[in-house]
Amino acid sequence: MLKIKNLKADIENKSILNNFNLEIKPGEVHAIMGPNGSGKSTLSNILSGKKGYDVSGEILFENKNIFELETEERAHKGIFLAFQYPLEIPGVNTNIFLKTSLNAIRKARGEKELDAIEFLKLVKLKAKELKFDEEKLNRQLNVGFSGGEKKKNEILQMSILNPKLSILDETDSGLDIDALKIVADGVNSLRKKDNSFLIITHYQRLLDYIKPDYVHVLMSGKIIKSGGPELALELEKKGYENFN
Amino acid sequence: MEEQLKIDFEKLLETSNFSKKNVEIKRKNFENFIEKGFPNRREENWKFSDLNQIISKNIKNLSFYNDLSKPNKIDQSIFIDGLEHNKLVFVNGRIEKIEFDYEEKNKIEILDDLVLEKSNNANNSLLFLNNAFVNKYFKLIVKKNYSLKKPLVIYNITNKDLISKSINLKVNISLEENSSLKLIEFFNDRSITNFININYNFDIQKNSILKNYKIDNNSNSNIKYSFSNINQDSNSVSEIFLLSSGSEFIKNEINCNLNGKYASAFVNGVFILDETKHHEIKTNINHLAENTKSYQLIKGVLEDTSKAVYQGKIFVDSKAQKTDGYQLSKAILLNDNTEFNAKPELEIYADDVKCSHGSASGSLNEDSIFYLMSRGLNYQEAKKLLINGFLLDVVEKITDSEIKNLIKNIMSLKQ
Amino acid sequence: MREKQIDKLKDYKYGFTTDIENIRAPKGLNKEVIEFISKAKKEPKWMLDWRMKAFERLKNLKEPNWQKPKYPKIDYQDIYYYSAPKSASEKPKSIDELDPKLLETYKKLGIPLQEQQRLNGIAVDAVFDSVSVATTFKDKLNEVGVIFCSISEAIQKHPGLVKKYLGSVIPLTDHYFATLNSAVFTDGSFVYIPSGVKCPMELSTYFRINASQTGQFERTLIIADKGSYVSYLEGCTAPMRDENQLHAANVELVALDNAEIKYSTVQNWYPGDENGKGGIYNFVTKRGLCKGTNSKISWTQVETGSAITWKYPSCILQGDNSIGEFYSIAITNNHQKADTGTKMIHLGKNTKSKIISKGISAGFSDMTYRGLVDISSKAKNSRNYTQCDSLLMGNKCGAHTVPYIKNKNPESNIAHEATTSKISEEQLHYCQQRGLNPEEAVGLIVNGFCKEVLQQLPMEFAVEAQKLVGISLEGSVG
Ligand SMILES: Nc1ncnc2c1ncn2[C@@H]1O[C@H](COP(=O)(O)OP(=O)(O)OP(=O)(O)O)[C@@H](O)[C@H]1O
Ligand SMILES: [Mg+2]
Repeated sequence: MLKIKNLKADIENKSILNNFNLEIKPGEVHAIMGPNGSGKSTLSNILSGKKGYDVSGEILFENKNIFELETEERAHKGIFLAFQYPLEIPGVNTNIFLKTSLNAIRKARGEKELDAIEFLKLVKLKAKELKFDEEKLNRQLNVGFSGGEKKKNEILQMSILNPKLSILDETDSGLDIDALKIVADGVNSLRKKDNSFLIITHYQRLLDYIKPDYVHVLMSGKIIKSGGPELALELEKKGYENFN
Repeated sequence: MEEQLKIDFEKLLETSNFSKKNVEIKRKNFENFIEKGFPNRREENWKFSDLNQIISKNIKNLSFYNDLSKPNKIDQSIFIDGLEHNKLVFVNGRIEKIEFDYEEKNKIEILDDLVLEKSNNANNSLLFLNNAFVNKYFKLIVKKNYSLKKPLVIYNITNKDLISKSINLKVNISLEENSSLKLIEFFNDRSITNFININYNFDIQKNSILKNYKIDNNSNSNIKYSFSNINQDSNSVSEIFLLSSGSEFIKNEINCNLNGKYASAFVNGVFILDETKHHEIKTNINHLAENTKSYQLIKGVLEDTSKAVYQGKIFVDSKAQKTDGYQLSKAILLNDNTEFNAKPELEIYADDVKCSHGSASGSLNEDSIFYLMSRGLNYQEAKKLLINGFLLDVVEKITDSEIKNLIKNIMSLKQ
Repeated sequence: MREKQIDKLKDYKYGFTTDIENIRAPKGLNKEVIEFISKAKKEPKWMLDWRMKAFERLKNLKEPNWQKPKYPKIDYQDIYYYSAPKSASEKPKSIDELDPKLLETYKKLGIPLQEQQRLNGIAVDAVFDSVSVATTFKDKLNEVGVIFCSISEAIQKHPGLVKKYLGSVIPLTDHYFATLNSAVFTDGSFVYIPSGVKCPMELSTYFRINASQTGQFERTLIIADKGSYVSYLEGCTAPMRDENQLHAANVELVALDNAEIKYSTVQNWYPGDENGKGGIYNFVTKRGLCKGTNSKISWTQVETGSAITWKYPSCILQGDNSIGEFYSIAITNNHQKADTGTKMIHLGKNTKSKIISKGISAGFSDMTYRGLVDISSKAKNSRNYTQCDSLLMGNKCGAHTVPYIKNKNPESNIAHEATTSKISEEQLHYCQQRGLNPEEAVGLIVNGFCKEVLQQLPMEFAVEAQKLVGISLEGSVG
């Protein structure tokens, strides 16, 4: 599904990712762990098409190079990023935002756009699954949401937009235990044979709930070790310092 | 008035020995002033303070000629105590003392035999007046890489010999690269109903720092206008603090051009006014290069029938991306006939900027007074505490702690 | 030629012209033309005298020039001051008798006038060039005593009310354009809501400039008697022409004790092409007088059209406890210029005002917010809150904020806040990550930015205005 070859990314002449390689097959769950500043968010930003980086290398999504695609075109193809720091957009109603996004994506995929009633039905269902307080969806997007609520809102959006590749950038940080479980359930329910996940996290705990197929350790812009779930445990014990 | 002006101007030329070039420039400026006269309400800049009217109301028989031949006595008692400093002393518009005891002599240069420069504020009639009538004007140069060890205090003293005169002063200050200067301008007026017109030009070169504190604290019946033109090169900093309190009328106008990248300007001021005083602060901060920053905080407390005006403009050129501009003015009106007028203005031609302004005026917060009274203070004490806190907020912005304490002392003496 | 232009500028969908036979006054501004207008409208003598008085005063007035947008000198002798569809010279008794071409025009503009197709719950007065051609739902309004008709009709049928209030808020000699309007005004709407009546439907006037080289000088007068309520909405469009056309309207509102007037404008005059050629000069004087105690006047405007917009809908808060509000969205793109804002003059005790202004400039355009808040020494315990935010798109445009704030009352409080910013890359990226294209993303974020104002509009128009906000900014993202 996703093949990253020799990815190199600089920002303001500072090298952030270097010789980065990763392959995610349909249905797989990959976790990336790495110290602060190692380039995890940079990776997810680049996958989502954020501008401002000097990039070279290759990113293939479903065997097509996506370098030339705009952010929204990648979203239309099914790439979803749950941001580490979800933004506040004043004045924009969360429900309306969600409906607009969903219909933009459906339209791009050649599916029928949902009308207000169908949409609300869908949202109600998903919100209930994720135990997300529906009333909050009538507020301005992320404005006045608590840190955890913002993260949950990202997962709600994920489950409504139903992407093929979901990138979760530290979605677990700031969540309480119950919320963590709910988020994990959300992910697990989307886990199908052709949906893949890239989960960025600092904590082994999340991986107890979402069993990854692979764990990668990212340091100074490249993957220095890959392995199975046991790698996360090892990391938790040793810390990054002694890991090398 | 025009007759008087002409007579006084000729007398000035007769009794002084200006260079031919200067006489020519002075004549031109004089003509320009005659044509425009004192500014009035019809000019946007003077909308809230009609100087023409203020002068004719307050000063009878204004005359423009000053006999500067005889030295004046300096009343030493008014020198600032407990702060070692260099001095420039003007008495009744005449320079009486230049003293840089604390500094390395070859790092400072003072020029006084200068050709007047053409001012680029073509519309400011008070600058015409200044250029026409200024006697000697001074230029202070702080050499590259030199920081003055002690502050410089410019004393502007007038005594009771001076009545109904127009005094014009001009000082240019140039800070060469990597230099710094702390400048305190200190007014002391015992004179009656004069019009004092001061023009400063600052040239702050790369990486240099100017800190300028202007203190007008002694109650007096003079009418004043002070215009500072500041040019700033990259990485330079200017910090200005205004204590606007003593004169019957004073308008402090500051035009600051942030010409170089990362230049920043801070303008903070307080009005403490009573009786019939009418003060104005007008600023123009022009962001002309990338990454420049300006910050302005002006507060006022008005009693009796006093009036304060703040006109502050932030201009951002289309080149000046990443500008950060902030401006806030607040006033507390304590009496029925006080008045606070504000015109906080933004003019912006670049899109990647952060600019905001705010203005608020009104009464003391009754809830806060109530809170303090519930803790045992009486009304007057509560009021005083709140006002002090309100003003202290501005004084705290002063970055030099010695001068900050000096100003705190001066202000609490007044309260 | 016209076809081509329309092709290039398909976003201005109101740019068509209607081929219709006109009756026009001779070109130019003089006594005869004013007499012509007065006669065409079958006005009583007092009205003509009033116009003449304004005309006399006009001779001593100069066009103001303190505004930011400068415009080429207007040749006032080169304008037609009166132009009316021939078929409307005898105003038809019923809408069904109306010239089918006119009906078609309004239908195309989305304002069907015929009985079967009328907008629900909205009574419309349709003004075409210099005359009102139709007013809908008149009978229904009559039942509750609401008078809603053209000002020309009001001058004939309700001279008492007109005489009493016309010019009572905007004096005859207020300033150049207001005085010009007083001399040559042609048509506009008149509304009277009797004491205690809550007007059962939205009232609306739709202004259309059609004829070329014609100025539109409309005059609107709304009186809300004690304890009444009315919500009024105006919309405006014009064909695309290479020339600049002048629109100098006067709008006066009077609210008596406990009355409330809500006045909304969606202004979409032709803005000129992308090179700044053509477009309407929209120089409008709008003023409301909160005459009675507890009265309230609320202005909402969405200004997206016109080459130059120059207007300050204002409130004079004369009655104790009266309230004035101003909600504005102004958008300029290409070479458009706007200098707009409000004045809140606090005279009575306990008066309150609120100003929310959102300005968006894009392209090569220039936007100024100019406002005055004046709390007089008698206006004890008054409050003002002002917030004006600007959004810039690109660095070829400008945003200017010029508030004048005067407080002479120690028991009153004024608070003013203003910000200037741009749409952040992060916000755009976030929306795009969720599948929106940049234009949609900008539209969404800008609508969010404007939300507080859009909320003030009556439901039916909020949707329209929201679309307009998006359309006006088309082509400005990049
Ligand atoms: N816009 C930028 N300008 C300059 N440096 C940047 C920028 N964005 C990121 N960096 C730098 O790139 C490096 C990688 O940042 P990134 O956000 O990808 O780290 P991370 O692995 O997600 O860290 P964390 O675990 O704290 O979220 C850091 O050193 C960061 O300071
Ligand atoms: Mg990160």
